Amino acid sequence: MKKILALVLALAMVFALAACGSTQAPAATAAPAAENSSAAPAEAPAEAGPSSIAVCLASEPDTLDPALNSAVDGATMLVHLFSGLAKWAEDANGALVIVPDAAEELVEGVENEDGTVTYTYTLRDGLKWSDGQPVTAADFAFAWQRAASVELAADYGYMFEVIDGYEDIWADEPPEDAQLNVKAIDDKTLEVTLANAVAYWNELLAFPTYFPVREDVVADEGWATDPSTYVGNGAYVMTGWDHNSLITLEKNPDYVDADEILMDKIECYLSDDANNQLSNFKNGTWQLIDDVPTNEIPALKVDYPDEFTVVGQIGTYYVCWNVNEDILPASSGLTGVEAEAARAEIRNAIGLLFDRNYIVEEIGQAGQVPASSFVAMGMTNPDGSQFYETAGHNDGFVGYYNVSEDAFEDNFTQALEVLKKYYDYDETTGQISGFPTMTYLYNTSEGHKAIGEYLQSALAGVGITMNLENQEWNTFLNTRKQGDYSIARNGWLADYNDPICFLDMWTTASGNNDVQFGKGAHKDLAMYNLDLTDLGYEVKVENGTWADTYDVLIKTIKSCTDNEVRYELMHRAEDLLMSTGCICPLYFYTDIYMLDKNVDGFFSNPLGYKYFMYCTIG
Amino acid sequence: MNSKTLVYILKRIGLAILTVWVVITVTFFVMHAVPGGPFMSEKAVSPAAQAALEAKYGLDKPLIEQYFTYLKDIVTKFDFGPSLKQRGRQVIDVIRDGMRTSVKLGVIAAAGAAAAGIPLGAVAALRRNKLIDKVIMVITTAFVSMPSFIMGSLLLVLFAIRWALLPANGSTAQGLILPIITLALYPMAYITRLTRSSMLDVLGQDYIRTAKAKGVSGVKIIFGHALKNSLIPVITYFGPMLAYIVTGSLVVEQIFAVPGIGRAFVSSITNRDYPMVMGTTIILAVLIVVMNLVSDILYKVVDPRINLD
Repeated sequence: MKKILALVLALAMVFALAACGSTQAPAATAAPAAENSSAAPAEAPAEAGPSSIAVCLASEPDTLDPALNSAVDGATMLVHLFSGLAKWAEDANGALVIVPDAAEELVEGVENEDGTVTYTYTLRDGLKWSDGQPVTAADFAFAWQRAASVELAADYGYMFEVIDGYEDIWADEPPEDAQLNVKAIDDKTLEVTLANAVAYWNELLAFPTYFPVREDVVADEGWATDPSTYVGNGAYVMTGWDHNSLITLEKNPDYVDADEILMDKIECYLSDDANNQLSNFKNGTWQLIDDVPTNEIPALKVDYPDEFTVVGQIGTYYVCWNVNEDILPASSGLTGVEAEAARAEIRNAIGLLFDRNYIVEEIGQAGQVPASSFVAMGMTNPDGSQFYETAGHNDGFVGYYNVSEDAFEDNFTQALEVLKKYYDYDETTGQISGFPTMTYLYNTSEGHKAIGEYLQSALAGVGITMNLENQEWNTFLNTRKQGDYSIARNGWLADYNDPICFLDMWTTASGNNDVQFGKGAHKDLAMYNLDLTDLGYEVKVENGTWADTYDVLIKTIKSCTDNEVRYELMHRAEDLLMSTGCICPLYFYTDIYMLDKNVDGFFSNPLGYKYFMYCTIG
Repeated sequence: MNSKTLVYILKRIGLAILTVWVVITVTFFVMHAVPGGPFMSEKAVSPAAQAALEAKYGLDKPLIEQYFTYLKDIVTKFDFGPSLKQRGRQVIDVIRDGMRTSVKLGVIAAAGAAAAGIPLGAVAALRRNKLIDKVIMVITTAFVSMPSFIMGSLLLVLFAIRWALLPANGSTAQGLILPIITLALYPMAYITRLTRSSMLDVLGQDYIRTAKAKGVSGVKIIFGHALKNSLIPVITYFGPMLAYIVTGSLVVEQIFAVPGIGRAFVSSITNRDYPMVMGTTIILAVLIVVMNLVSDILYKVVDPRINLD
C-alpha cells in the first residue's frame, strides 16, 4: 500500500510539473523549428522552395509596437513589417536615400504666415493592412496622435516635438483639446503642420515611430505580442513569435510593391549571447549575427575576412565629468567662477593625455575612429560635408584638438603645462601632486573595463590617481543620472541625422544631462558668453549662466528655419559645450556584424537598421 | 495513514505557505531598494513621460500600499500584473512560455538522469572494486565536479561547431538535445553514486543474507529486494533535483539560447521589471517549496522509521 502511494506521489510530482508547462500544445512552435535545423548544416540549397534567411539581431525585443519601440533590433523588424510615408533605400549607385513609400511623393512644405509649415501627402493606391483592410490617411493621423500622447508615454514620443501642437500635449497644464496638428483630409490625403521647417523631416517619416497603426487593432493592449493580433502594412507579415526564441516574417503578397521583394522569409532568432550567436554563425545556421564577442574580434578578422563587417554608426563614445566635482588642489584658493574656469582648463588638458589611436587600435579593434569632437561622424552639414570636419575651427586639424598619431606628444606636453599651473610638479618624476583621487565609473563590461584601465594608466603617468568602479547597467544609469560620480563612461547614438540630437541633451532640464550642467553649484556660475547678433538674433549675453546661454542657444536652434544659420548655431553650441571640458570624446562608434558571404542585396542604414527584403542567397 | 501523519503534512503545508510569503515580502522590498527603475534607459524619457508611466502602473503610490495591492491581486485573483518592459504582455504569459521550455527540459533531463544513473549505480555496486566500478566512479566524479558552463561549452564546441551534428541554439527541437544532456549529467552522476552507496548498504543487510541462505536466485535478490529498497534515497532526491534542474538551468539556457524561465528571470532583474521579478521569484520559490514538501512526505511514506517530529 505504502509503495503504491509512494509511486503515485512520485508520478504526481512529475505530472504536476509537466502539466504546468503544457497548457498549450507545443506543436506549433516545434514545427518551424524542426524545418530550420534540418536545413541548417547543409550548404544552403536555395533553389529548392522559397528563399529564407536566418538572422540574429538581439534577444527578445521589448515591444514590436512601432510607437513604443526604441531599440535598433526592433526597428529593423518594424521596417519589414510596416510601411511609413517614407523609407530608406539604396539608389542605383548604392548610396542610401530616403524615398517615398506609402506616400506618392515626399512633398515640399508650404510656409504659413505664422511661420509654421504645412505638408500635404497623398497616399498611394492599393495600400492594404495585412488583414486586407485599406490603409487610410486617418490611420496615420491616429498613429501619430497616439505615439505622441501622454497616455502612451512612449520613449520616442518626443520624435513628434517638431509637429505643431506637441508642446501643448506635454505642457504642465495641457489645454483640453491638445493634440498634434495632423489630420486626414480624406481617406488618401494627410495634412501635417510643423512648428517650423526641419531639415530631417523626411528622415523622421521613415522612422518607425511614424509608422501607421489602426485604431481597432491597437485597442487590444497586447496586440503587438502575438502574430494572430499583429496587423501591419509592410512588405512582410509576422507569422510566428515563439517568445525569447524566434520571430518569423513572411512576405506579404498584398504589399503594394510585393513584386520587388526578393526574400520570402526572414527568421529572426532571439539571443543576446554573443558567443552563442557566433556558434550559430560558424556552423552555418544563421546568415547574419549582429554581435560578436569582443575578444574574438582579432581572430574573426583573420578567419572571416569576407564576413566580418564594420560599418559606420552615428555615435560617440566619451568620458563625461561631473561639472560640480572639485578637482582643484586644496591649496588653490579659487572659488566660484574662477574655480570653474580653472577646472574647465584642467579637464580639457586631461582630455589631451589620452591616446585615442591606442584605444581604437589596441582595445576597440573594430575600426572605430578617434574622435576630436562630440557630434559624431556621419552627421552632415547642409552642403553634405561632415559636421565633425567643420567643428572646432582649427587650422591644420579637424575638431577641438589634434588626434593624429604624431600630435600626441605635443598634446601631452601642452596638457602638462596646464597641469603645472595648478598643481605641484616634480621635475625628476615628471608627476604632479595634489590632484584629488577620482573614481571612474563604468557599466560592467570587458570592453569598458579595458578602456577604463587604459585611462587609469594614462593618468597615473602624470601622477593622478583614478580608481575604477563598475556597476550593473541599471544602477549605473541611475548613479550617473543623479550626478553621484566624478568621472564616468558615456556613449550616445543618434536617432536621426541631425546634430541637434547630440546637443539638446545638455540643456539644464534634459533627462540626459549627466554632467549636471546648470544644476547644483553650477547653476549660479555666470561665466558663459553668447553673442548671436552677427546671425541676426538679438541675443547677446556676457557672463551668463548655463541656462542664460546654452539653454537659450538650443531653443534658438529649435526654432530656426534658416538651415545655414541653424547649422552655424549648432557649431556654436558644440563650441560652448566643448569649452567646459566636461565632455571628453574618445571615438566614434562603428557597428560590427557578421554576414554570410553568399548573401547579396543586403544593406544597413546609418542608424543601424538592417534590410533583408532585397536579399538573395547565392 | 494515521492522524499523526496528517497533522505532520498539514504542518508542513502551513510552513510552506509561510516560506512563500516571506519570499514575496523580502523580494518585494529588496527589489524596490535596489537603485534604478524600470523606466531607466540610456536615453532618458522626459520627467513628464516618466511620471505618466509611473502613474499608469501604480508606481507613484506609497511602497507599502503597492505591496498590499500586490499581495491582494496574487491571492484573490492570481494576477501577477503586466510586464513593465515587454509592454502589452502579462507576467503570467511570459512565465508560462518560459516554464513550458524549462519544464520540458527539466523533466526529460531528470528522467534521463534517473534512467541512466540507477542501472549504472547498481552495476557499480554489484561489481564493487572491479574495473567497471572504478570506471563508473571516475566518470561520475568528473561529471559531478564539472560546472555546467564548462560542460555546456565543451559539448557546444564539439557537437555544434566541430562536427556540426546539432544546432547551437535551443529554439529548435534538436537544439534542446545538448542542453538536456548538459543538464542531465550532474544529477545522473549524483544518482549513480547515491544508488551505488545505498545498494552496497542494502546488500550488507541481514535479510539479503537470509535470502541468499534460503537459496533465492541472484536476479530475484537484486531486483526483488536489493534494488527496490536501495532506491529510497533516490526517490527522495528526485523532487529537489527536478526543482534544481528547472530553476537552475539559467547558465545552460544562456549558453544554448534556450527560451526558458531562467533567462526571463535574470533579464527581469537587470530591467527592474518589478512585476516580472516578483512573478518569476514566486513561481520558482513555490516550485522548490512544493518539491521539497512532496519529497519530505514521500520520505515519510516510504520509510516509516523516520520520526515525524
